[in-house]
Amino acid sequence: MANKVRLGFVPLVDCAIPVVARAMGFAQQEDIDLELVREMSWAAIRDKLSFGMFEAAHLLAGIPIAARLGLSGLPVQNIVVPMALGRGGNAITVSTQLYQRMLEADPNAMLGPRGRSARALKKVIDEDKAEGRPILSFATVFPFSSHNYELRYWMAAAGIDPDMDVNIGVIAPPRMFDSLRNGWVDGYCVGEPWNQRAVFHGDGVIVALKDDIWSRSPEKVLGLREDWAQGNPELVSALVRALVRAAEWADQPGNRVELAHILSEEANVGAPFEVLKASLSGKPVLRPGEPPIDLPDRHVFYRYTATFPWLSQGRWIGEQMKRWRQIPQDTNLKAVIPDVFRPDLYRTAVAGLDVLVPQDDWRVEGAADAPDRSLVGTDQFLDDTIFKAEF
Amino acid sequence: MVKLEEFNILVIDENPDRAAIVERGLVESGYTRVARIGTSHNLVERIQALAPDIIIIDLENPDRDTLEQMFQVSRAIARPIAMFVDQSDASMIHEAVSAGVSAYVVDGLRQDRIRPIVEMAISRFNVFDQLRRERDEAQAKLNERKLIERAKGILMKEKGLSEEDSYALLRKNAMKQNRKIYEIAQSVITAFQLEF
Repeated sequence: MANKVRLGFVPLVDCAIPVVARAMGFAQQEDIDLELVREMSWAAIRDKLSFGMFEAAHLLAGIPIAARLGLSGLPVQNIVVPMALGRGGNAITVSTQLYQRMLEADPNAMLGPRGRSARALKKVIDEDKAEGRPILSFATVFPFSSHNYELRYWMAAAGIDPDMDVNIGVIAPPRMFDSLRNGWVDGYCVGEPWNQRAVFHGDGVIVALKDDIWSRSPEKVLGLREDWAQGNPELVSALVRALVRAAEWADQPGNRVELAHILSEEANVGAPFEVLKASLSGKPVLRPGEPPIDLPDRHVFYRYTATFPWLSQGRWIGEQMKRWRQIPQDTNLKAVIPDVFRPDLYRTAVAGLDVLVPQDDWRVEGAADAPDRSLVGTDQFLDDTIFKAEF
Repeated sequence: MVKLEEFNILVIDENPDRAAIVERGLVESGYTRVARIGTSHNLVERIQALAPDIIIIDLENPDRDTLEQMFQVSRAIARPIAMFVDQSDASMIHEAVSAGVSAYVVDGLRQDRIRPIVEMAISRFNVFDQLRRERDEAQAKLNERKLIERAKGILMKEKGLSEEDSYALLRKNAMKQNRKIYEIAQSVITAFQLEF
């Protein structure tokens, strides 16, 4: 009999890997009956994983770290991360009104590199301050989300204080689009298809992509309950293998149209096929009515070690938690991260397969001339930061 | 010491029927200060205005992600809130999760004071679930009857059978194929639709 694994996911393009593992038979090949459960909130997924209603989950990379540090407001079980679920897919979208204001305030910044477009936002904020207008509202998807850290990174690099100069709230991904449309927020950072959807509807403009902020930045991960993982080591390996195979399939440019079809189904992401195809084909549209731009790395599922749970990437997220005072400054991340991110589980699972694994579990992030550049692809922060945290 | 009935309880639910059932249960138990809100874009402001001591919310409600942020942002809310979990009682955690209830409480409230409120919410969620199941079953039964009526009508018209004979034919086939009568009725409807 096949081993049953229940996996919770949120309807986003990056749920592709588990969805493909089931739809294309990769889970079955590993003798796994993969049951996928669609959830509308990150808190619900985390709690159901903790309380044993799921064995596995599509998670924001920050959630398992926050849970380990006791930041979840409840005594959650420890969660381990044996693999990452791809890269890319986020963007910062602003309302068309705010986009116009940014364009008028600083046309040069809006023509320059997208990672620096917040300089125009800074001017809008300064104008509002001078006029005594209320501050702008932005949304991200969760307090411990890469989206929150990316939005803050982008703002802070332009001299905006994300805690004082704007209001940053949290809205679950499936509700983002309506919030922008109805004018409840002026902008947001969320994963696809919720940016592309706003552009297709003429309600929003993408002003920066995840890649523009940090091209190698981590995104979703596979989370497993630690006690379940400890008790089922072979099943963990089989699950990781099935998901790595699914990632390899999803990464092929030739499979992306089929992938868009699969994800467009109501049980999966349930967004329009055209919206998903634009993003998955690496041809996103940034502004309503304009032709798409060419971005082959918009969604990366497998290449560039996109499934490897790099300790240095977990560490970067932990450092952002410190930066924005979510955790005490003396938190020992060097000790905590290797308990959560588990490249050893990944290495065990793919041993003997033709899967490229890096030599070390961590690397210097953001160095354009790093020796492993061919393995990991483009790696640059918008402000050319070099992030080095040894393990 | 705060008396029980002086707790401000806020029920957040997209389903107004369930919210009403929870509210009534609480009011009948002596908790008179109960407010309820549905989906709201200015959730943080509304919570601030209502100043609840306890928030009862569907575990799967997307608004929970917004609530979670209140753990983080102290300037968003005057009093810190945290998810309520009675760590000493694993069965209660299980009951709450199965019923789909989560609760958030302001800091400093004693567990034994909150427990009965959460227990009431759990039992009311379960009652609602039961009612919904019964309604769905009744609806399904009604639909089955409609299918059988339609199939009978088709057989009477197309095969010239009497109503009784049409029903007997459906039943005979159901028994032979070890299927439900409404399933056979569905097959009959599908088959005749195909011909047109």
